[in-house]
Amino acid sequence: MDLYTMICDSIRGFKSNIRKDPITNQNVSSAMAAELTIVSTVLTAAIMLRHLNVVLTILIVLGLVLYLITGMPLISKFKREQSDSLNKMMFYMILTLGILVTSIYWGFKP
Amino acid sequence: MNDLIPLMVIVPIIAAILLNLFIKYNTTIKILSFLVAIVLPIIPILSNYGLHYFGGHAPLMDNGTLLNSLPSYISDGPLSTFHIGITYSFESLQKILIFFLFVVGFLCIFTTIGERKRTPGSYMFLMLMGLAAVTAMLLSDDIFHMYIFFEIAVVAQVGIILASTDNQRYEIAMKYMILGSIGGPILLTGIGFLLGLVGSVNITDIVYVVRNGLVNANSPVFLFSFGLIFFGWLYSVGLPPFHTIKSAVYSKAVPSGSALLQALSVVIFISLGIAIFRIYSSVPFIGVFIIFFSLCGMILSLTMAIMENDFKRMIGFLAVGELGYIGLGFGLGTKLSLTAALFQGLNEMIITATLFIGFGVVLYMTKTSDITKLGGLIEKNPKIAIIVLLGGFAMAGVPPLNGFQSKLMLVQSALSDNFPELAVIMILISIVTFMTFIKAFHSVYLKPKPKNLVIENSDVPRSSVLVMVVLIAICIVLGVVPTLVTDGFSGFVGGLI
Amino acid sequence: MIDTQLAALLSSGSFIIIGLYAAVFIDNIIKKIIGLSFIEEGANMFLIALAYRTDGVVPIFLPGMTPEWFASNSAYPLPHALVLTSIVIGASTLAVMLAIAMVLYRKHGSLSASVILGDKHE
Repeated sequence: MDLYTMICDSIRGFKSNIRKDPITNQNVSSAMAAELTIVSTVLTAAIMLRHLNVVLTILIVLGLVLYLITGMPLISKFKREQSDSLNKMMFYMILTLGILVTSIYWGFKP
Repeated sequence: MNDLIPLMVIVPIIAAILLNLFIKYNTTIKILSFLVAIVLPIIPILSNYGLHYFGGHAPLMDNGTLLNSLPSYISDGPLSTFHIGITYSFESLQKILIFFLFVVGFLCIFTTIGERKRTPGSYMFLMLMGLAAVTAMLLSDDIFHMYIFFEIAVVAQVGIILASTDNQRYEIAMKYMILGSIGGPILLTGIGFLLGLVGSVNITDIVYVVRNGLVNANSPVFLFSFGLIFFGWLYSVGLPPFHTIKSAVYSKAVPSGSALLQALSVVIFISLGIAIFRIYSSVPFIGVFIIFFSLCGMILSLTMAIMENDFKRMIGFLAVGELGYIGLGFGLGTKLSLTAALFQGLNEMIITATLFIGFGVVLYMTKTSDITKLGGLIEKNPKIAIIVLLGGFAMAGVPPLNGFQSKLMLVQSALSDNFPELAVIMILISIVTFMTFIKAFHSVYLKPKPKNLVIENSDVPRSSVLVMVVLIAICIVLGVVPTLVTDGFSGFVGGLI
Repeated sequence: MIDTQLAALLSSGSFIIIGLYAAVFIDNIIKKIIGLSFIEEGANMFLIALAYRTDGVVPIFLPGMTPEWFASNSAYPLPHALVLTSIVIGASTLAVMLAIAMVLYRKHGSLSASVILGDKHE
C-alpha cells in the first residue's frame, strides 16, 4: 500500500473514531485540524535537535514521519489519555516527576 | 513612599476579613468591596520603587555602625550581604503587573456585583485573598514566602471554584487539591535543599552565593533542588502534565471567577518563573527544559481546545496554551525574549479575562455552555458579539491589538536567537488558536439558532458590558502604544541578566 | 551510635515515599488524604532535620557563651520558623480537602476515588 492511500484511509477512519453527534462534520473537521497541528508542530520541533547533532536530527525526523503517518488517527488516543480521570492525571504526574528528576540528577552529574 | 509597598498585600487581606465579618449586610459588602477594589490599583501607582524590609532588618551592609563593630570575618564575608527578614522588592515589573492585576481584579469584582442581586461576602473574601496572595508572591524576594503565599492562593482558587453552581465543581476541586498536595510539598522539598545548601531562602542571597562560587553550582544537591522546584513550577502554572486539571479548574468557576483565576495563574507563572530563572541560570540546558514543557503545553492544550464542545473548557485550554508563549520567552532567555514573555503574560491576563467575561454573558443568558446547543445570538446582542470578536483577534495576534505586539516580539526574539523553528511553531499555534476561537464564535453567534434554545435572561447586566469595553480599550491602547509597558519590562529584564 | 540527623532525613524520605504510595495506589479518598498529609509532614521533617546539629544548643545567646562557641554549637533557627508556617498552611489545605471529601460522600454515597473522581465527562 502506498503512502497516499494510507493517509486517505486514516482520514476516512476519523469518522468512526469520533463520537456520534448531530453535527459530526464540525467534529471531524476540528479533529483533522488537531491532527495536522500535532503532526506539523512535532515535526517542526524535532528539527530543533539540529543544534545538538545533524545526523541524529535527520534520523529522528524520518522516524517521526513514519511513526506519525502510520499511527495516523492520533488525536483520539491523545484525547483518551488527557481525560479528567484522576488516575490518568496521577500517572502522568508521577511519570513526569520521575523522568525530570532522573534526567536532571544523573544527566548532568559531572 | 516606600511605606506603601506592604499595603498592597495588607489592604486586600484586611478588606477580605472585614467582608467576612459583615457577611449579613448586603449593601455594606457591595460598597466596601467596590471601594477597596477601586483603591487597590491606585496603591502601586503612588508607590515608589524600592525595597521593604519586614521588621526593619536591613542587611548588615546597609548598617554602617553595626558593621564596624563586628569582627572582620563577618563584616568582610558574604554574611554581611544576607537579608535577615522577609524582603519585598518593588520594581518596574511589579509596578506594571500589580497595577494590571488589580485592574482585572476590580473588573471581576465589579462584574460579580453587577450579575448577582445578593453579593456573597465569602466569595469576595476569596477573590481578595487570591489577589493579596499573588501580589505577595510577585513582591516577595524570598522563595519560601512565595511557596506559602502560593499555597494560600491555591486554597483561595479552590474556594472560587466551589462558589460556582457547576455540577462537577467538588470533584474537580478535590482532584486539584490531591494533585496540589503532591506538587506543593515537592516544591517545598526543593526549597529545603536550597536552604540546606545556602542557609538562606532569600533569592538575592542565593544568587549572590551561586554567582560568587561559594556553593558548587554543579553539585547534585543543587541540580536535584532544580528538578524539584521546576516540577513544583509546572504544577503551579498548569504546564503539562497539569494542563488538564488547570483547564478543568478554569471551566468550573463562575466566568468572572475564571477571569480572575487565570490572572492569578499568569502572575504565579511569572513570579516563580523569574525566581527559577534567577537562581538556576547557571544550570546547563535550563532553557531546553522550559522550552520542552512550554511546547508540550501549547500543542497539547491547543489540540484539546479545538476538539472541545464546551466553550468554558475551550477557553480554559486556550488560556493554558497561551501560557506556553510566556514559557518560550523564558526558555530563550535573551533580553528581548524575556521582555516579550512578560508583555505576553500581561496581555494574556487581559485578553483571557475579556473572553471569559464575554462568553460568561452567553452563559448568563442561556444557562448552557455546550456550543452544539447554542446559536444565533448575534441577533440578541451584536455589540457584545463584536467585543468578543475583538478579544479573539487580540488572543490570536491580529494587529493593532496587544496580542500582536507581544507575539511579534516573541517571534523576532526566536529568529534572532537562531531558533526559526520556534517562530514557525508560534505562528502555527497562533493560527490554530484563531481557528478554535472562530469555531466557538461561529457556533455561539453566527450559526442559525436551534429551535429548542431558550433564552432565560435577555437583559445583559450593564456592568459586564462596561467591563468588557474597558478591557478591550486596554487591549487597543497596549497594542497601539506598547512602549507604555515594554520600557518598564525591558528595564527590569536588563537588571536581571 | 545512630546519627540522629541521618535518621531524621531517612524517615522524612520514607514519609514522602509512603505518602506517595498511599496517594497513588489506595482507592479510599480519606486514606488518600492521609497519604497526602504524610508527604506534607515528610517535607516538613526534612526542613527540621536540616537545622539539627549534633550536641548542639538552643539558638539563644546566654551570658557566659563566647560568640565563637555559640556560632559553632547552636542549632540553626531559620528552618524551625519556616516549618511553623508550613505546618499551618498544611493544616488548612488538609481541612479544605476533608471538607470536600465530606460533601463528595454525601453526594455519591461512596468514598472510592475511582467511582467519584473517575472520568465522567464523556
